[in-house]
Amino acid sequence: MASKLLKTSGPALLAALLVTLAPRVAGATVRLDPKARPGDCAACHGAAKVLPPGHVATRAMKAADCARCHDPAGPKALGAKLPSGHRHGLAGVGCADCHGKAAKPQPASVEACLACHGPAAELVKKTAAVKPENPHDSPHWGPQMECSVCHRQHEATVNWCAHCHTFDFKVP
Amino acid sequence: MGNDGKGGTDLSRRRFLTTGGAAALAGAAAAAIPGAARAAEAGAVPKRWDETVDVVVVGTGFAGLTAAIEARNAGAKVLVLDKMPVHGGNSIINGGDFAAPANAFQKDAGVQDSPELMLKDMLKAGAYLNHVELARMVAENANAALEWSRTYVGANFNRLNFHGGHSVKRSVQTANQSGSELVNKLLAKARSLGVEVRLRTKLERLVVKDGRVLGLQVRKGYAWPREDSGEPAFLKARRGVVLATGGFSQDVKLRQVHDPRLTDKFESTNHPGATGEALLAACQAGAMDVQMDWIQLGPWTSPDEKGFGQVPQVCERIVGYGLMVDPKTGKRFFKETGNRKERADAIVLLGHPAVILGDSVNVGKQVVPKVLNKAMEAGAVRRFDTLEAIAQAYGIPVQPFLEQVTRWNGFVEKKSDPDLGCMIFPDAKPNVAPPFYAMRLWPRVHHTMGGLVIDTEARVIGFDMKPIVGLFAAGEVTGGVHGAVRLGSVAMADCVVFGRIAGRNAGGGKAWA
Repeated sequence: MASKLLKTSGPALLAALLVTLAPRVAGATVRLDPKARPGDCAACHGAAKVLPPGHVATRAMKAADCARCHDPAGPKALGAKLPSGHRHGLAGVGCADCHGKAAKPQPASVEACLACHGPAAELVKKTAAVKPENPHDSPHWGPQMECSVCHRQHEATVNWCAHCHTFDFKVP
Repeated sequence: MGNDGKGGTDLSRRRFLTTGGAAALAGAAAAAIPGAARAAEAGAVPKRWDETVDVVVVGTGFAGLTAAIEARNAGAKVLVLDKMPVHGGNSIINGGDFAAPANAFQKDAGVQDSPELMLKDMLKAGAYLNHVELARMVAENANAALEWSRTYVGANFNRLNFHGGHSVKRSVQTANQSGSELVNKLLAKARSLGVEVRLRTKLERLVVKDGRVLGLQVRKGYAWPREDSGEPAFLKARRGVVLATGGFSQDVKLRQVHDPRLTDKFESTNHPGATGEALLAACQAGAMDVQMDWIQLGPWTSPDEKGFGQVPQVCERIVGYGLMVDPKTGKRFFKETGNRKERADAIVLLGHPAVILGDSVNVGKQVVPKVLNKAMEAGAVRRFDTLEAIAQAYGIPVQPFLEQVTRWNGFVEKKSDPDLGCMIFPDAKPNVAPPFYAMRLWPRVHHTMGGLVIDTEARVIGFDMKPIVGLFAAGEVTGGVHGAVRLGSVAMADCVVFGRIAGRNAGGGKAWA
């Protein structure tokens, strides 16, 4: 009976998925608008103050515009300030680029991530100097962990190693 | 979980919530819940199965992947599930030690051993509560299982170790000092044979009819630990289901049902998904559980690092070489080579962490340098130039401590400990050569000996004392193999021995549809 209900509630399911995917901003309701321009905070966040007071208008901005103030290598880098999904949006990566064009959005596959960020061997090299362990080449999973185990796009990122270790990784 | 009547109700309610919780449906949903819950309890068979395979294996640790390979080799189409977003469970964070009597490494080292001696050790540590026929299966088949892991699966083992409670050195360790060596080779082998491994898929309920398991209800796309995530689906298992879901050391609620002392103040060495809901799902389907209150604490973990950490692989290598003292008195208080339970109980009884130490000769010979370095980087093992510096660092009264070290060194010379009966190895040396290495020890919840009742064919036994047709289990989810205490390094042997049996029997079973 319940599975029958499921099938008849396609649009409701999609809505529910979008709500789960939506970022959690303290005390504010988020209504995800997949068609919104990436810099248009109000399209999804409404009147909630998601930017610091006095921040320049972002509505028309793209990633390169943000980087003028938020140098990715400097202390004002957006890494810790903005969920990765937003940064993907600002860089011109749309929902369908990661989740596919199907009516029902699918979780992003490792292949979708590696299409831009790969190959995996390069990522292993990129973090080879990270101490005390290379997170992309752990003694347990080697380079086999799926990206989204740590690199969450629509919620806070996760330092999976920290379940058992005191590794102070800053996960972008 | 464990809340029988309400389990089904919660599931139904959750399902409605994830489907959008449309207000218009609320009335109908409320009316539907009691009926749906009753149907779930009765083990309702779905009208339509979303997918059909021969064998579903739940769990991607040693036991699950081993079972998957053997089921595949018995001719079955096999699907392996894991609720976590990573594979390997506890096996992939384990220390990689595999107990096997009369193994090739023992022969090279001239160590005399036999399955009978290993069984004797298992029964003694297990307080003779072991289901003897199961323990015997492990002891008698462990070396064949080790050789299968090495030659067929291709896992690299390169070292012979001692573990507390064993009569001899009989544990063979993976070349990377981690169970990941075997897990990842098992995974590669399983995939090469055409086994599909699917993560983020959680078992919710076994579908049972007339004493036969037909399949299972799962949540696909489950995002641990969000219980409302994913979507329900029904998987038909034509030949059988193998449960290899591990223990429940991280399940504070369930472990306190069986041992109320194990509050959330006790941390665990286990991966965060080591909870008991699959075991309970089997119980709800009629499986019997046994010895659930025998929950083991590991005596070799450090309060100065998280989880299992590095210290166990330093501490366990120097028992029988170095000495363990109570920092309050400076004196030894328990035999270092005792089994896990005895030692953990003794440390908990102290009420504060113990200190174990060894000198550069013993530590240098016994501990893998990479492991020692990692333990020191973590700050959990510390290096000292003098014994006095150790006393100062840990607040140990100096004179009694120095006297105790001298006394221990005398025992090492004679290879006999009249004080506490510690086993002293033939190659142990008096601890006199600086630098010295020391670490604190405080136990963590490590292994749940209890679990599902199985027979020697890995068939799960129900409350009618008969096998539940089509249901098999292997590894830590089962109970009885180890009795009161599992000896170190027997988990790998247990998982591979019974994983192979469960896989063969499930894969070679008669299809119900």
